[in-house]
Amino acid sequence: METMSPLERLLRGIALTLVVVFFMFPIVWIFLMSFQTNETILRIPPSVVFTPTLDNYAALITGKLQTAAGTLDIAFMRNLGNSVFLSVVSVAVALLLGVPAAYAFARHKFKGSEDIAFTLLSFRFAPPLLVLLPLTQYFQWLGLSNTYFGLIWVYQLICLPLILWIVRGYFEDISADVEYAYRIAGHSWFATFRKIALPLAGPGIAAAGLLAFIFAWNNFVFALVLASADKQPVTVGALAFVTASGIQYGQIAAAIVLSITPTLALALYAQRYLVEGLSLGAVKG
Amino acid sequence: MASVTQPGTAPRGFRISKRVLPYVLSLPALLVCIGILIPFFSAVLYSFQRYRLSQPWARQFNWGENYLNFFTDPGFWNTLRVSLLYAGTTVILELLLGLGIALLLQRRSTVNNFISIMLLLPLMTAPALAALMWKLMTNPGFGILSYFASLIGLENFRWASSPDTALLTVVLVDIWVYTPFIMILLLAGLRSLPTQPFEAAALDGVPRTFVFFRITLPMLTPYILTATLFRLLDSIQQFDIIYAMTQGGPGDTLTVFQVEAYLNFFQSTNVGRSAALLIILWAITYTLSNVFIKNWLRLRERARGEA
Amino acid sequence: MTTLQLKNIVKRYKSQTVLDDLSLDVADGERLVLFGPSGAGKTVLLRLVAGVVDPDEGQVLIGGADMTDVDAEYRGVGMAFQNFALFPHMSAFDNIASALTARRSSKEAIAAGVGKVAKLLKIDHVLTHHPKALSNGQKQRTALARALVGSPPLLLLDDPLRNVDAKLRFEMRLELPRLLAAQGATVIYVTQDYKEAMALGDRIAVMFEGRIRQIGTPADIYNTPAEIEIARLFGDPTINLLDVVPQRGPDGAFVELSGVRLRLPGFGPEIVGKACVLGIRPESIAFTDASAPGAIPVTVEAETPLNEKTVTLTLTARRREILVSRPAGTPGPQTGPAHLAVNSRATLLFDKENGRLMRPSELASKRNGEAA
Repeated sequence: METMSPLERLLRGIALTLVVVFFMFPIVWIFLMSFQTNETILRIPPSVVFTPTLDNYAALITGKLQTAAGTLDIAFMRNLGNSVFLSVVSVAVALLLGVPAAYAFARHKFKGSEDIAFTLLSFRFAPPLLVLLPLTQYFQWLGLSNTYFGLIWVYQLICLPLILWIVRGYFEDISADVEYAYRIAGHSWFATFRKIALPLAGPGIAAAGLLAFIFAWNNFVFALVLASADKQPVTVGALAFVTASGIQYGQIAAAIVLSITPTLALALYAQRYLVEGLSLGAVKG
Repeated sequence: MASVTQPGTAPRGFRISKRVLPYVLSLPALLVCIGILIPFFSAVLYSFQRYRLSQPWARQFNWGENYLNFFTDPGFWNTLRVSLLYAGTTVILELLLGLGIALLLQRRSTVNNFISIMLLLPLMTAPALAALMWKLMTNPGFGILSYFASLIGLENFRWASSPDTALLTVVLVDIWVYTPFIMILLLAGLRSLPTQPFEAAALDGVPRTFVFFRITLPMLTPYILTATLFRLLDSIQQFDIIYAMTQGGPGDTLTVFQVEAYLNFFQSTNVGRSAALLIILWAITYTLSNVFIKNWLRLRERARGEA
Repeated sequence: MTTLQLKNIVKRYKSQTVLDDLSLDVADGERLVLFGPSGAGKTVLLRLVAGVVDPDEGQVLIGGADMTDVDAEYRGVGMAFQNFALFPHMSAFDNIASALTARRSSKEAIAAGVGKVAKLLKIDHVLTHHPKALSNGQKQRTALARALVGSPPLLLLDDPLRNVDAKLRFEMRLELPRLLAAQGATVIYVTQDYKEAMALGDRIAVMFEGRIRQIGTPADIYNTPAEIEIARLFGDPTINLLDVVPQRGPDGAFVELSGVRLRLPGFGPEIVGKACVLGIRPESIAFTDASAPGAIPVTVEAETPLNEKTVTLTLTARRREILVSRPAGTPGPQTGPAHLAVNSRATLLFDKENGRLMRPSELASKRNGEAA
């Protein structure tokens, strides 16, 4: 392509700087806020010069918030634990169910396979409340209201289509001949699945799992509708925490930092696969 | 050498397992999701009923009354208007911004790759938490953005608390979270384009605006379509950002479909109206998703073919 | 060793029929080459025999036992793929050993088996490498070793030399017959290269469009190709094919080339006036003197060296192209007018309408029958 003039180079530089500032500023600012006391947060004009404190994190981790009115119990660590538990188990279940199904869809063009695959995909695009609102009543009858089991089941709506469609693509990328060769060498389909298909699709499966984890973690509406305080993940818990703690802005910021750190770290770790995952396998990064 | 399995001694009846195998593999996943289909049909049923949680005894079929009422219901028209306005504004702005950023980052370089990875972070932030972050930044007392607003003469700029600027605020959050989505899809698209037409155009000294509108844009269209439809499908259903930021307020300023349905269900306990709203939203998304899936499949095939 | 029988195999993909009522018998210990252009259905046929693809109709019998419904792992065949199909995440050793591990042989037996075949194929020094670290030739040998290591009674080789360079292909073409003979297996070998087919096959089955069009020894196929298409595929340079209409002569039918009569031995009046295609292999033509009887005058257009041959393009009086080949290094005209002598015993006559070979012997006996 053409070489850039100095003016163009400058304009591009300015544009990119603005872009980076816009998209990074909120994260940086909340991060800084989480190390400040209310006193420094409330300064006008705001300043980035302050003595950092870990009090906010300490309060969250001990679950005791010291306020003028006395000690306030906060359940934020429990929310964090719920997020970890719900996301990990949901992804594990989705992998267990989704990987064999993805393999079936990729390798065996059986009757109705495309219809089933698209039905599963369509869950990704239906309004979640359409299912969730009636589900509150079913869950009451079934005794699943506010249970981890019920939540994990519903979380499959997020995780399964994602894993199914991404992993299916990775299985399709494996040459059928390689699997045939292993079968002909005398191995059963299951041995072939375990020794050939799974290892070769391994990185893709891991990436799909990480992405499903991120989506499960970031989900808000499922738990908002179906879970009470003791089962809520951080997304819902943080909102409740804001209402409860009122003006403890430093703690709110710290809670947000703790809540978004796991997904951001995973995203950076798996960034190579994110493009493909986010587009459900339609675009390769 | 080792002895060989003698042909003819093989176990029989494998044809059956070969036929059934794919169903066996996909059945568990299917069963888990089938359970979810039942509530969908219940929602359809509810939408044709007069059904209030507060008056369960008065529950009865009223057929299309919930839907017919919408015609004369300003609340519904407000929901429709806000939803479309929100979806339209966010998708158009995100598309323009995303395309612009993708073009800025098109050239592969360490800096560009680093920036494109950093831009993933907002996208990977839970939208509900992103809304909280922005809520802290737009706090009228100490919010940094409120301070910036005052610097440019906007004293007492109230962001999400004012009906005039609430939509602007949530759109801003949506843009912050989702522009990177469009950006990375288009960046992947841009980088997968063949280089020859561009080299030829550069050699011939074709003006760059011409190259952009006549070569880049048409070749990028499938990516733009897929990204746009993907976002449109999500944006018309936006709940997390709006609910976490304002719970649909102030007043009914931001009562988009899902927020309105949620409030109807849990606050006014009007299950029938809530279900009818969601069915209408579903009809919209279903139509959109059909168009989307067609484009998405074409792009997917292309990506697989290149693999 | 074992036998293979295919009975009335039909295979369709969507609306396309890939194998069309195909039957084939392969004898115990025979080396059969499946030859044909790409898309003929050769690879599908091999996969069907291996059991990784199911036929829509028909039966596959191995050693006399019906294997149609039996999964690939129980068929006891060995197969080498055109694209090698090596397991990218396993070492060459594990790739080869995969054909033994399924039988739960002891570690020592596996190591011994792999070592033996690796030595035979001269890849014993790269057994620890992963496919990525192997050269194309080593990959090909690894794939071959994997197919051979279990001493399968039936060996399926899908164009194993297709994806290797010319030098290696030449070496392997010399080496393979010895290797396969040592195995003692019944072999089905797929190729698109007629020389490979002729060098390796006890018999050659020529496939197009999902059917076997001719099956016979390499000499049969070369000397009496059943169809124009087959004649065209065997031989380099390609056989000369000239549209002709035989005429009646005093001693049987003849055709005219550059105004000179070329007798068609064995053919009589039954073909006179019929639209035919005359096939003359370039090596059945030689340059001769103008004075020789039946010498056909031509103009020399161009000369091309082709491996061990020299090929000359000539034009008849009606500007029809005739290729002449002679051993490289022998003298021949470079340009201008020249004369050709055609070995009329080596000519082939095809029916232009259906492309089938017309056999003088049958016609002659038929004529004799009529006369009686």
